[in-house]
This record gives sequence, C-alpha cells and structure tokens, in this order.
Amino acid sequence: MALKTRKKQVEAPVIHRPRKARFQAHLAPAEDSTVRLLKEELQLTSDTDFLSDAVALFRWAVSERKLGHRIVSESASGERKVLVFPRLERVAPDIVLPRIEIKWTERELESLAELASAAEASPPTEALVRALRG
Amino acid sequence: MAIVIRRLEDRDEVENFDCGDEALNNYLRRHAWTNQEKISIGVSYVAIDESAPRTVLGYFTMAMASVPRDAFPKKYVRGFPPYDLPLILLARLAVDRRFAGRGLGHALISEAFRISLRVADQVGCRCIVTDAYRDRINWYARYGFVPIAGASESRNIRWGPVICGQSVRRCDVSWNGRTMRNADRK
Repeated sequence: MALKTRKKQVEAPVIHRPRKARFQAHLAPAEDSTVRLLKEELQLTSDTDFLSDAVALFRWAVSERKLGHRIVSESASGERKVLVFPRLERVAPDIVLPRIEIKWTERELESLAELASAAEASPPTEALVRALRG
Repeated sequence: MAIVIRRLEDRDEVENFDCGDEALNNYLRRHAWTNQEKISIGVSYVAIDESAPRTVLGYFTMAMASVPRDAFPKKYVRGFPPYDLPLILLARLAVDRRFAGRGLGHALISEAFRISLRVADQVGCRCIVTDAYRDRINWYARYGFVPIAGASESRNIRWGPVICGQSVRRCDVSWNGRTMRNADRK
C-alpha cells in the first residue's frame, strides 16, 4: 500500500502590485506634434517613458518652487532667464513684501476711525494753504 | 541761500547731519538710503542749498501704510469701504540745528503735502499721519494735524488726518504751477 503523502500546499504570498494607471490625453494637433518632436529629440520610444520623464521634471520644478526657489536658465555668456509659469506660482510660498507696520492702540484706532470717517474734512489751516501755495 | 528739495541721492553727505536727535540723525545716516533704494519701504527727500548741493540741511521720509478694516472698532466699520484704510505716513522730518529757524521745516512739510496730494490723487489715500514729539505738537497743529487720542505716555503723540483730499480741494491753492479749484479737482 502506497503511502500517500499529502503535500502541504503553501500559499504563495499575495503581492499587491500597484495598479498601473492608464493615461489618455486629448491633444491639439500642435501639442501632438510637439510631443512627437520632443520624443524624437529625447530618443524616447514610448509615450509612457515620455510621460514619466515629464512628470519627473514637473515634480522637481514643483518641489523647488515650493521651497521658494526660482528656476533659472543661464546661458554661456551668463545671461539669465527666470522661468515664470503661472501654475507653479500656486505652490510658491507667499512673498513677504517689506511694509510699514504701525502699531495702534484700540483708543487710537477709534480716534482715527472717527476722524477718517467724518463726512466733512476740517477746513485747511492758514499754514497748510500757505504751504501748498508755495 | 537757494533751497532745493529733492530725493535723497547716493552721494549725499549725511554723516555730518545733526538735528539734535540721535534717532533722526541715525535714520538718515544708516537707514534712509537702504529703505529707499533697496527695500522700497520709504522715500526720503532732502533739502540742500544749491551752493553746496550734497550737504543735507534737512529731510523728511514718507511711506505708505494702511490699517486693516477689521482693526477698527465695529461701530465705525459700517461707514468704511471693505478694504484696508490707506494712509500716508510722514515717517521722519528733521532740520539740521545749524540751519534751524530759517523756514526749512516749513519748506519740507510743504513739499511733503504736495507729494501727499499727488499720491492721494493718483493712487488714493484718505489721510496723512505722523508721530510727533510732544514738544513739536503746536508746530504740527498749525498745519491742521489733529491729535489721535489714545497714545500711551511712553511714546510720541500720533497725529492724524490733515489731508483727506477734499479738505485741500475746497480751497484755491496753487499746485504744480496751476490753480487748483473745486471745479477742476472734482
């Protein structure tokens, strides 16, 4: 009697590979020809590689702009051009512009508001008229 | 003595300027040029004598400022437009003490008012404010500055609206070589 051994079935671990996303773009003829030209220049054979490289470049640009860095090209002669790309500006940190900060007390603000909201300004003084005539 | 008032220039001699107040001297020597040319936060105008066109005899500095609408007490906010209240700040004004008493202060503040009028006309501004030393309050009051109540004892008195456009528009004054009247200002 043959002894039957039962092989214990070991289940292979399930590997959840991230699902590849499909990307379909509707390009205008001009954009389509630009993509083709770029693929040729960059010697990219597939749209996937093209998109992957474009995303890498865009991701870098976004991260730089997020840090507040400007993206600049520099020619051999030192001429610089700054990339201005409106969508990138959405991630750029707010520029802190120099400004005059006046500290007001509550009473001062009340007093200023009263003066500034008056329907009629006070008549100019003699000295003021003289100052503006000079 | 032919006095000219113009923007502060790089080669102006400011090191010997002495109005008797170290803070005002120091501002002209150390900060006025940077604030004007490098960070564009305020412009200084200097009075010079044509015979010594680099020596600063007096100066004033002007800057734009604003008060957020929300900062005002609620009972006043209703009469205000939904924007910050724009102000012109007469930030500094000083005359070298060796040239005091010759009308330089009047010449400087007159120019400050003319500039304020132009700014109010071209950009829009409700009033001009300044921080005045307590011993100078009568001088500012002569030009229509009125005290803004509530300044703490520890600091200078803040002076408020002198020009709200219309206060000057109501009088006939010569400005930039032409007479400004109600009719052509409205």
